[in-house]
This record gives sequence, C-alpha cells and structure tokens, in this order.
Amino acid sequence: MIGAALDRIFREASGRIVAALAARFRDLATAEDAFSEACTRALEVWPQQEMPRDPAAWLYQVAVRAALDALRRRRTQERFASWLGAEQESAACEQEVDGVIPDERLRLIFICCHPAVAVDSRAALTLRLVCGLSTREIARAFLVSEAAMAQRLSRAKQKIADAGVPFEVPAPDAWPERMAAVLSTLEVAYAKAHEDAAGSGPHAHYAAEMIVLSRTLAELLPADPDVAALAALVRFAEARRPARLEAEGCMVPLAEQNPAQWIRPLIEEGMRHLERAAAFDPDRARVVQARIHAAWCSRASLAEPPPWDIVLGCYDELLALRDDPVVRLNRAVAVAETRGVEAALRELGTLDDELLRDFAPYHAVRADLLRRAGQAEAAGAAYDRAIGLVGTAAERAWLERQRQRLEAPGIKK
Amino acid sequence: MQYALLIYEDESVYGPGKSGEATQKIAARHLEFSRDLGASRLGGAGLKATSSATTVRTASGKQTLHDGPFAETKEQLGGLYLIEAPDLDAAIAIAKRVPVSKDGSIEVRPLIVHG
Repeated sequence: MIGAALDRIFREASGRIVAALAARFRDLATAEDAFSEACTRALEVWPQQEMPRDPAAWLYQVAVRAALDALRRRRTQERFASWLGAEQESAACEQEVDGVIPDERLRLIFICCHPAVAVDSRAALTLRLVCGLSTREIARAFLVSEAAMAQRLSRAKQKIADAGVPFEVPAPDAWPERMAAVLSTLEVAYAKAHEDAAGSGPHAHYAAEMIVLSRTLAELLPADPDVAALAALVRFAEARRPARLEAEGCMVPLAEQNPAQWIRPLIEEGMRHLERAAAFDPDRARVVQARIHAAWCSRASLAEPPPWDIVLGCYDELLALRDDPVVRLNRAVAVAETRGVEAALRELGTLDDELLRDFAPYHAVRADLLRRAGQAEAAGAAYDRAIGLVGTAAERAWLERQRQRLEAPGIKK
Repeated sequence: MQYALLIYEDESVYGPGKSGEATQKIAARHLEFSRDLGASRLGGAGLKATSSATTVRTASGKQTLHDGPFAETKEQLGGLYLIEAPDLDAAIAIAKRVPVSKDGSIEVRPLIVHG
C-alpha cells in the first residue's frame, strides 16, 4: 500500500468520521485530534498486516477509542472536573463502538457555517472539516500563508467551543437564516475555485470538492430548491472547464467555447438537479441563475446560435427579484447581443460606477462595448483598468489580447 | 442606590482565551474581594475573552449577527442582563428580544463559570 492510496482513504473517510466524532463528543478539537491519531495508527498497523475490509469503519472505531482516552486523561488532569464533562463522557461511552459511522455531516456543515463564526472563516472551516482538505491546501486557495490560515481555523474552532455553538441541526424556525449562511459559504468557496479558468492553480482540487460537497448536501436535503440549484450550478460551471482555456493559456469567453469540449455527464447531472429545484420553485434567484447556465450548457455546437434571448429573459427575472449591480452588468452583456451595443452602453451608464470601481469584470465589459462602438480611446483606458485589477493569468491574457486588437485598425467584431 | 461596577482592562494580559496563569491569580483576588464585600455584593461574574463574543446588531429594524464584540463608539453601554441558556442559539434568540429603542447592539458573551 503506497502513501498516496492511504492519503486518499484518509481524505475520503475524514468528513464523515470527523462529523460523527464531533456529534458524539461535542468538540471539534477532540474530533480532529482523535481522527488524526487513528490515521497515525493506521500508518503503523496497516502496512504490517492485512488491510481491514472496511478501512473507514476501522478508522472510526480507533478514533472513538482515542477520543475516549483523551477525555479520560483530561478529566483526571483537571482539578475541578465539571459535572457537565462527566455527563458528556458517560453519554459518549454508553454508545456501542460498532463499524457503522452515523452520517452527521449536515450537522457539521451547520456548525462550520454558524453565523457567529467569522464570515471569512466559514468556508475554510467547512473545507477543512467536512472535505478533509489540509490547512496548506486551503491556505493556497484563499491566498494566505499557511500560518495565517492555521490561526484563522484555530480561532474559529475556539470560538465555536467558547461561545457554546450548539452541535445540532438548527430548529425549523431558524432554518431559513441558517441555510442562507450555509449556501453563501459554499458559494464563496466555489467562486474561489471558479475564478481561475486555467484550473491549474491551487483551486483545481478544490473545485472537485465542491462537486462532492454540493452533492452531499443535495442528498441530505432533497427537498431544498436552493441546495439543488447550487448543485446544478456547480456542475454546469465545472462541465465547461475543459473549454475555458485555449492552447496558449488564454481565457475563452463563454459564447466562443466549443460545446464539444464540455463534460456531458456533468451537464446531465446538473440538469437533473435543476429539474428538481425548478419543480419546487422555478422563480427563486438561485434557480434562475442555474437556468442561465443550463441554457448555455444546452448548446450542442458552435454552429448553434448562443442562447442570448433566454439569458436576457433570466436576467430580467433576476432583476425583478432583486436589483443588483452585478446582475445588471451581466444583463448588459446580453443586451449588447440582442439589442445592440448602444443599448448596452446606455444600460451600463445607469450603473453606479463608484460601487463597481474596483470590479475587474465591470471594466472588461465596458471596454468590450466601447471597442465595438468604435470608441477606441475610451476602450483602451477601460482595458487598462481591467488588466490592472484582474487577478488570474488566463483572464489577463485575454484582456491583453483584446487590448491589442484595438490598436489593429479595421478589425471589428 | 445600586451600582454596577464595570471592569475594563487589557484582556491580553490574561493570555489567549484568558487561559493564562494571570487568570487564576486574578480569580483568587476577585474571590477575596467578593468575600470582603459581603452583603453589598449583589452579583457579578467574569466574562470569557472577546474572541468568544457574538453581537446581535439592530439597524433600521433589521437584526444581523456578527462574530466578535461590540465595536461601535457612538453607542454606550446602557445595561445588562445575566441569563441562563442551553447554548449560543438559545442565548441569541433571547438577545434578539432585548428591547432597544432604535438602533443598537446586544453583545452575547459567555460568563466564566467556576466548576
């Protein structure tokens, strides 16, 4: 058995085991420490003897025993053992340690995404505990040092322990608020993975985790339209990843991507999630957003016209739900394709440019529209602004190429 | 008259999460002080570090939850409740019902409970 194979077993088992341990011992640190002790034991024992038939069950049993030992040690060390600790321990001991790992991942997701946990820690903590990503991987994804991420994670765990965040799935009346925090956390996590078209960066692995996590959530909550819509959205976006980059490493805009390169099974899976979401509520914002992606993913080849009419209709629906500058910006792109560049520029003029001042896509869209309207000088300035703000290499390469086209006279899209 | 004595000091002297040796030392001094006060002490408690705080903020009739202690400077401490609640969610639910005349914040901070 080689190290990489063991790593995979540990990673795949970790979310479920840590969740089950956390639910049982009501403490994240105890759960994490016990799981890592079980992994250490496995590394010692497995290579010497036959692999257990169910490695996850083996890890869970060893981890439960490790947690119980740790709890006992702590209790004898403490001068004043509180009655609460004693009660916790006896409750945990009464349960049999069998190989069946209870699925407590939903509970763990709710704990990690509790509104009392700092917003920028929730996604990181979820990826660490539920997906089993290492602190180093998460640090790279969030572009911070490993030490800073370790501190952020440990602060969040300390907060959960000190403040008394309950280790329960919230009561139904708290569900809307709590679910909103969970979904926005996952969206933040996914947006990080998606903004990098090349997918060669630190986010590549992470995007795959989002496929798994959103599927898990959809299985756990089959009747939630937002959850199903998110699962659909992640699939549609990931399905297009192979077509997002051309040979020279430059980004390919959605309308120019070759649908033959898209991952069909992922699109089909996305369509099934969307169907379920739409059956519950076709007009919810996340469902409408998923419909936009579905319209694109339904394109069979470049010979088929892009679905701009459907896309525009969806953005109108979204705007009716909530006036949002980013939605208006995206809508302007669809307006340009259906009603012309001048109409799109008028739309853009109604946007608050103070609010979007540092938002690279705003300047990129503006530059494109100005270029197509023949306003080369203004377009050049907008490209420069976008290039200065954009964070990923593939997107920058594309903007630079567009900027150069500006200087070659006579070429107009 | 009854008075509240509100203790302000640099919590970092008590170590991260107020777990340092200095906490035990000051606890012993508080215990002695409480004995000295006798009947004039109506109640009181130590608070866990600000890192354990959660704030329920009310602005224009909307309530939002934030990680961390009360941080505004244009509002002043106006009162306090000591409550018993099974967990943070229950405490937050009660905090949301605390009357504020217009905008304001209720900081929810766990007490240090001696076993």
